[in-house]
Amino acid sequence: MIRVIARKELRELVRDGRFQLGGALMVLLQVAALLFGWRHTTAMQAERVAAQTVARSAWTTQGDKNPHLAAHYGMYVFKPAATLAFLDPGTDAFVGVTLKLQAHEQELPHDAAASDGTAVGRFGQLSAAAVLQLLVPLLIIALGFALWSGERERGTLRQLAASGVHPRQLLAGKALGLGVALLLLLLPAVLVAGLALAVGGDAGAWTRFAALVPAYGLYFGVIIAVTLWVSARAASSRTALVALLGLWCATSLVVPRLASDVAGRAVPLPTAEVLARRVHATLAQGLPQGLPREEHIDKISKALLAKQGFAGAESMMDDALLQGLELQAEAEYENAVFDYHVTALLAAMARQERVAQWAAALSPLLAIRSLSMALAGTDFDHHRAFAQQAEQFRRSLVLAMNDDFARNAGAAGWQYKANRQLWQQAAPFALQPPALGQVWADQQVAWTMLAAWMVAAGLGATLAARRMQVV
Amino acid sequence: MAPRSSVPPVLEAIGLRKTYGDVVALHGLDLSIAAGEIFCLLGANGAGKTTTIQLFLGFIPPTAGCVRILGQDVATHALQTKQHIAYIPENVMLYPNLTGLENLKFFTTLAGHGDLDRATLGTYLDRAGLAPEAAGRRVGTYSKGMRQKVGIAMAMAKGAQALLLDEPTSGLDPKGSNEFSRLLQTMSAAGVGILMATHDIFRSKEIGARVGIMKHGQLVACMGTEDLSHSDLERIYLEHMHD
Repeated sequence: MIRVIARKELRELVRDGRFQLGGALMVLLQVAALLFGWRHTTAMQAERVAAQTVARSAWTTQGDKNPHLAAHYGMYVFKPAATLAFLDPGTDAFVGVTLKLQAHEQELPHDAAASDGTAVGRFGQLSAAAVLQLLVPLLIIALGFALWSGERERGTLRQLAASGVHPRQLLAGKALGLGVALLLLLLPAVLVAGLALAVGGDAGAWTRFAALVPAYGLYFGVIIAVTLWVSARAASSRTALVALLGLWCATSLVVPRLASDVAGRAVPLPTAEVLARRVHATLAQGLPQGLPREEHIDKISKALLAKQGFAGAESMMDDALLQGLELQAEAEYENAVFDYHVTALLAAMARQERVAQWAAALSPLLAIRSLSMALAGTDFDHHRAFAQQAEQFRRSLVLAMNDDFARNAGAAGWQYKANRQLWQQAAPFALQPPALGQVWADQQVAWTMLAAWMVAAGLGATLAARRMQVV
Repeated sequence: MAPRSSVPPVLEAIGLRKTYGDVVALHGLDLSIAAGEIFCLLGANGAGKTTTIQLFLGFIPPTAGCVRILGQDVATHALQTKQHIAYIPENVMLYPNLTGLENLKFFTTLAGHGDLDRATLGTYLDRAGLAPEAAGRRVGTYSKGMRQKVGIAMAMAKGAQALLLDEPTSGLDPKGSNEFSRLLQTMSAAGVGILMATHDIFRSKEIGARVGIMKHGQLVACMGTEDLSHSDLERIYLEHMHD
């Protein structure tokens, strides 16, 4: 029975001019967005690989020099473009893709706000995600606003009611018909995306793509259910359309902006300039409630000496070895300062993100946006993983340089120079993106919110269908 | 009233009452229509004819009393009772983007007759008087009379035992009205009990076995048409209307 109703709805929709025109536009937009995104992503990735190769070459061919100076010279690392960035570029365009790694400096996380903002603001990029998140709901509204109210207005609702079909079956049939119509319109885009992945995607990208499908399916399910709910409740098709467009504006434009503002007010973040000032002040004075800088470094030095078996024997040590250990003590003190500020900043960002995630209770768009960026590997969590791994890489590099200085400088001291052999020992930076399981865990709120929306909208649509007045 | 027998009437209203706030739309209606009987309900606008039909269809709940179809209470067996009835309103409304045949297929499938193939459905449309070339055209291009014929075909294909008609010939040309009346007589001969709300005194006399006159929600007169002339019926009707 449900299939019969769905087939009827589909046949009616397909023969409707709205479907033909809207559908053609949607397919064109989707395919254009995907092709544009694919071209942009592959070009970006090629540029980054080339830049990373140049940066690596600049490091390994920097010439002979003191290893600590080499640590100052540092190197650039580039964030590889996520394969699925062609679907959802997420925050990539806002958070930057390169970090300079050098002794005594850590690049601090910034631009978390890029995760927020209005979806429309990002629509300028014409990404497939923007089309899916913003325009497809409008298409669902255009195709579905009169599915119930139109039956009432045409008078066919009486025929349906007189036929003895259960309202629940009618609702399921209408939802299925609309869903299949949508699937037909999205199929070309799915095929293009699949083709793009077949050309340049790995197994991980396929898995993430496979996870994106049910996420968007759930999102469209919510929109379909809400559309049918409103259509069943509205006194006329015109009222249904106005109400649905109002809801779209509220959930797609107003709530995301408000959520971002509320999160920013609830958990204010320091500006990059203020944060840098605070870090430098702490570096100069010492950690709050901790030892002053010099005493702190001295304490770390002693610990390092003890670890090396030189406790109390500084006067008998090689100057270079002592200097090398002191340099490392200073680096570790700086790391402690960076960790102190970065931990506080990341905690504040996480609180901000939680506020924004819970705001998905008011807008399913916020939930799917978060899920989409996360599964595409372009959300702030992925950028944070890049920044954290790059920082670990920096610390290892500095440690290796200081260690070489301490072990090999000997009487030459600061005149000691290491060569290409040492530079080549530093393995190239390789980003390990968060595993899908980790992404799943991080996105639990978004999944829960989307599921809650589905349950609530489904329940509302069912009740509205059962309570529909035939006359 | 039709004579009582052990076979339940096709359509039956017992003490049926419907009020909207302080307005009483129907005052304790008692009515019984047997298989094969055509009962015509006459009355001015607002007399309660359409309310009666809607109560039989279960579109609105009764305030008091009950409605039965083949002995089953509509209130407690809403979906089951609809398996036995067909409804033809003043304007049979169908899906304009589907053809007549597709509309027929859809509604008969909903009514539990999805096994009927296109050829069989085509014969129902043919019997209802719809030209074969029209069956494959979208309903959006149909006249009112053609849609009424699809409605009749739906009732036939469904195998409905009761037919509820609300001003079905209103707006049809004389030829269309005649064709429609003949179809109703055919269905009646096949044992379908028919309740038709109408303003058309002439046609009531022509096809109805009995005629009821409603006024202010009450059945003020009920008579057989066999020994009644057109002018008698018209006179009785007007007398009640001018009371």
